[in-house]
Amino acid sequence: MNTFVERFTTNASNGLFCGNGAVEEDEEFSDAMWGSEAGFGSLARGVPSFTVPSVSDPAAFLRLHTDDHADPNCKIKIQHGTTTLAFRFQGGVIVAVDSRATAGSYVASGTVKKVIEINPYLLGTMAGGAADCQYWETYLGMHCRLHELRNRERISVSAASKYLSNLVYGYKGMGLSMGTMICGWDKTGPAVFYVDSDGTRLKGDLFSVGSGSTFAYGVLDQGYRWDLSDEEAQELGRRSIYAAGHRDAFSGNTCNLYHVKENGWNFIGNYDISKLHYDGPGDVAGSPGHGYGYDLRVEGRSSVNAPEAAPAVAAQA
Amino acid sequence: MARRYDSRTTIFSPEGRLYQIEYAMEAISHAGTVLGVLAKDGVVLAAEKKVTGKLLDLSGEGGYGGSGEKIFLLNSNVIGGVAGLTSDANSLVNYARTAAQQHLLSYNEDIPVELLAQRLCDMKQGYTQYGGLRPFGVSLLYAGYDPHYQFQLYHSDPSGNYSGWKATCIGANNGTAQSLLKQEYKDDILVKDAIALVLKVMSKTMDSTTLGSEKLEFAVLTLDESTKQPKAKIYKPSEIDALLRAEGLAKTDGDTEMKSA
Amino acid sequence: METSFALTGKGYVIVAADTTAARSIVKMKVDEDKIKEISPHLLMAYSGEPGDTVQFAEFVERNIRLYQIRNLYPLRPSAAASWIRRSLADSLRSRSPYSVNLLVGGYDTATHEPKLYWIDYLGTQVDVPFGAHGYGSYFALSLLDRYHDPEASLEEGLATLKRCVDEVAKRLVVSPGRYKVKVVDKDGVREVEI
Repeated sequence: MNTFVERFTTNASNGLFCGNGAVEEDEEFSDAMWGSEAGFGSLARGVPSFTVPSVSDPAAFLRLHTDDHADPNCKIKIQHGTTTLAFRFQGGVIVAVDSRATAGSYVASGTVKKVIEINPYLLGTMAGGAADCQYWETYLGMHCRLHELRNRERISVSAASKYLSNLVYGYKGMGLSMGTMICGWDKTGPAVFYVDSDGTRLKGDLFSVGSGSTFAYGVLDQGYRWDLSDEEAQELGRRSIYAAGHRDAFSGNTCNLYHVKENGWNFIGNYDISKLHYDGPGDVAGSPGHGYGYDLRVEGRSSVNAPEAAPAVAAQA
Repeated sequence: MARRYDSRTTIFSPEGRLYQIEYAMEAISHAGTVLGVLAKDGVVLAAEKKVTGKLLDLSGEGGYGGSGEKIFLLNSNVIGGVAGLTSDANSLVNYARTAAQQHLLSYNEDIPVELLAQRLCDMKQGYTQYGGLRPFGVSLLYAGYDPHYQFQLYHSDPSGNYSGWKATCIGANNGTAQSLLKQEYKDDILVKDAIALVLKVMSKTMDSTTLGSEKLEFAVLTLDESTKQPKAKIYKPSEIDALLRAEGLAKTDGDTEMKSA
Repeated sequence: METSFALTGKGYVIVAADTTAARSIVKMKVDEDKIKEISPHLLMAYSGEPGDTVQFAEFVERNIRLYQIRNLYPLRPSAAASWIRRSLADSLRSRSPYSVNLLVGGYDTATHEPKLYWIDYLGTQVDVPFGAHGYGSYFALSLLDRYHDPEASLEEGLATLKRCVDEVAKRLVVSPGRYKVKVVDKDGVREVEI
């Protein structure tokens, strides 16, 4: 593989694209991955480097080998299935995600952490390419810390999301796949920003991202109010992820729930979606006291509407 | 000259009759009696077995879904009783079962009883009209249940006519049986009483003086208590004997006929 | 995009379908009725390939009517749905298959039970308490999982339907404008306003 790998370097002056010769056979990993400073050594030194395939059009190359819609037999299957959601309300921000990682039709993992804890006040969610999100949001965390050191104050959610947005926009068209919500609490109060690899950045009260997002939206929109209590809001987040885990084949396993308040985020819990279906969330705030499953919720209820005095067996006509 | 209108079914006689049909009916009136009574909570069917004899092997419990000769399970909701040529009857039974399954395949429900009767009658009618064919020498009673009309009893004859009945009889001595049924039948009769009525009429119309499993076939269609689905029960010889004993109609040593009240 | 919903309640089925007839990016008609009353207690919402939809719906309508004429009683909802499913499945294996998705809602007068069947163009049939076709289903199904009640009164049922319609209007990019809504219960079929 190494013969195909070509390193290129980016900095402000020479632009994004600057191909060099192929790396040596034994140099499988660039120092960007293994170097000091949490793997961001070269980047921290102000010379960001990123390895891409040594072909004339790396984006097309990546597309050729990862587009599993056009070619189910493609070599690289990127994790696409996910449900993540975040919403702002009177009591802060609720962030809830599922934990399933799929590669094509294969459930690669059921215990993925799709909430990335950027710092005690910032959370990022992960949808699209798992590696892309993990890498760039950790990278974002590093820069958030640098901002704190340099400016003696925490970075605003707006600024952090803008940083990420600008960063991924620089790689537009090169195959990055991310759909993330940057959530936190800053001077302005609770904040949620949606950022994706197209370069879109949106400020809003309520977002859901991923293949299961439509299902989450269905429950979320109908139950959402600004003046939700903390318990109601946590329950709504949990219930919405359950809905997506139930209806979307590419989402599921467990739900991770976070609540961001004035003094930072709190991890509320990890909930098995099957357990939510059959038993409900258990003894937690806002629990309905029974399973979320439709059959359990309507157990014993029937749409049959027989007249009161229906004869047991009607006489022959 | 009479032969001219006898030999082919497709030809009317000058009086406007189809002799072959009438002959088929005649054949049936010599066949073993089959009797059906419609009750409020079920249908009862009984038949007289003609083929008996010391050497006949009766050790088996009868064929699939029936006791062999005259009563057959046509579908899970319909029992058929046949009178006439056994071989023709077998062919019709097979046709009825196929028709019922075809309905199940198309509609995912048990075939309505009347529709099953119609299916058979459409075929029987065909055999009275198309050249070179002989009509079926068979009359049938259909005892069935469907959600449209609940319990039903139909009769069809070789011409392809069919009609619904509260109680009826085909085969030998059907006239006697019919008049007995007319006297004894009451609307809103229950299966329990219908069984007694059927056995009583049977014992009076059958040529032999005694009733026993070697001469009798018996079946009841009711609704299952728990599932509310039709439940067809075709009695095994041992069960028939038990039933006759319970009704006080079993053979006695003196071979005298017991009269029930 | 075409969207249809249906849900059962205490003694009724509500069937709703959008009223847009589109071709390419153009709305050709905005008041098209895509719910057929195929027998006194049976409704069928259809969507899919233009042309196929109406052809197939009329084929179904005429055949179900024929059964009623022949047998004096109409097919029960389960039997009608099974027959329709089989027609689609047979069609799928023919030279020119019908590409039609259906929601068949009916009131079974024998059991007093409202019945709803979700059927797709591949001949998949499912007996469901609620169902949806089209892009709207991605928003409505999770919502119905949460809010549907088999014992809801007609008013409550229509309120739940309203939630679906509103949610799709809120979130679907190409959401339909208007819906036609019909109800089938012990008294037969009728159109209602939401």
